[in-house]
Amino acid sequence: MVDFLIGIFLATLITALFTTRLYRLLMWYSLNSLTLGILALTIGSQLGDGAMIASGIITLIVKAAAIPYILKRLSQKFRLVRQISPNIKVHYAIMLVPAILVFTFYLAEPITHMIDGNANYVAVSISSLFLALLLMMEHTNVAPKIVGFLSMENALFLLGTTATAGMPMLVELGIFFDLLMAIVVINLLFQYEEVRG
Amino acid sequence: MILYLLTIAFLIAIAPLLLTFIKALKMRLLFKRPLPLLQGYRDFSKLLKKETIISEEASAITRVAPFLVLSPLLVVLFFLPPAAQGAFYVSFVDAFTITGLLALSTFFLMLPGLDAGSSFGGMGSSREAFIAALVEPAMVLTVFSVSMMAGDLGVGQAGVNLATSFPKEHMASFLFAAISFFILLVAENGRVPVDNPETHLELTMVHEAMILDLTGVYLALIESAASVKFVIFASLFASLFLPFGLTLAWPLALLVFVGKLFLIAIAVALIEVNSAKLRLFKVPNLLGIAIVFAFLSLITFYVLGA
Repeated sequence: MVDFLIGIFLATLITALFTTRLYRLLMWYSLNSLTLGILALTIGSQLGDGAMIASGIITLIVKAAAIPYILKRLSQKFRLVRQISPNIKVHYAIMLVPAILVFTFYLAEPITHMIDGNANYVAVSISSLFLALLLMMEHTNVAPKIVGFLSMENALFLLGTTATAGMPMLVELGIFFDLLMAIVVINLLFQYEEVRG
Repeated sequence: MILYLLTIAFLIAIAPLLLTFIKALKMRLLFKRPLPLLQGYRDFSKLLKKETIISEEASAITRVAPFLVLSPLLVVLFFLPPAAQGAFYVSFVDAFTITGLLALSTFFLMLPGLDAGSSFGGMGSSREAFIAALVEPAMVLTVFSVSMMAGDLGVGQAGVNLATSFPKEHMASFLFAAISFFILLVAENGRVPVDNPETHLELTMVHEAMILDLTGVYLALIESAASVKFVIFASLFASLFLPFGLTLAWPLALLVFVGKLFLIAIAVALIEVNSAKLRLFKVPNLLGIAIVFAFLSLITFYVLGA
């Protein structure tokens, strides 16, 4: 089950890399967060960890529902460009994405020996970190860059849940708070974009 | 052995029904009056009665090619994984053979388009070559990686292995292979994001442009080849990527198998209704995603074992 969810997580992120429409990108981000939330719930119930279940529920509410909705409302309000074409051509991205994946899978190899249980989840989360970085790099508009930033946060959350068998609750709540602060900053950025454009 | 032959005959018989079912479902979703489900058989019998006219410029290739389009596909039908346990199956045929036979069929489909020398035919053939060249590597990679997961390179044996002992630890790479194969199913059968099977508009035609010159029996053969191709892809998807229900008693297992085929047809119809046709030069992007997922499935399986 966890393997399946990890697969969907990576698949949604890769599909988001090739998207050229903003709302579709937000939908892929929402699906990505949805799988992350279900993943946290599954691992939490396996470990019997109440804190992880709580953070999974918060993920489902905040990242899968609230943040995509807020971003969509903001982009409607400031009339952002909805057609986002990546700077890196698809032909090159097709070569680049497998290269990144192979590189990160081998990069994570020494780490996986140190962890007992779900060793390959670490590799998947590091590779999704790099893919989110690519998502930030390949766009010039603000909105997809922000989605890239949020996906990077998702990848870090995945690393936290799978590698450490649950971070302390306080840390995770802090991260969610940071995220809400980031949304406020994003609002300001959008306003700036509107004034400039 | 009887069950084996029975399944193949059944798949050939059900083939026009599946394509008609997709069309009818699409019409119902678009609030049109759906066409009857037996329309595929009616078209076939009508085409058999029609006079067969061949262009004056056409050579012997046009007379031979329709048979050579259908025959590799019929051979592939014999190599598919079984629909019920206990049925005879060919275990040793691997991804390369099946892809090669499908490519052979596509090659003979391209020839009559070029043969009569009409401009439409040449255009359709070149587009088909363009798509087929991108489909084949992804198809080999996908089927190969699934058969590696199942622990046997033969596709028939892989289908049986997956149904009897499903490798739960390889779920992630299995999922990537399934996504890739579904894109290939849509692309290779000329469904909507890649080719529109219902229009005769010169900008969008791929499959229809090649067979524009054909009439009568030859057209009937090509049309049935298209439906058999869809059945081959759908049943490969059903037995490799939806591996359940094989261990039931054979009438029930066959029923589950047919249910899976119709499920795939429903999925294809929903995608057709919800998406617009891609521009021809955007098709490599879609097939590129298929290649990325196929490769990803293979490396996830090899490097991570997940």
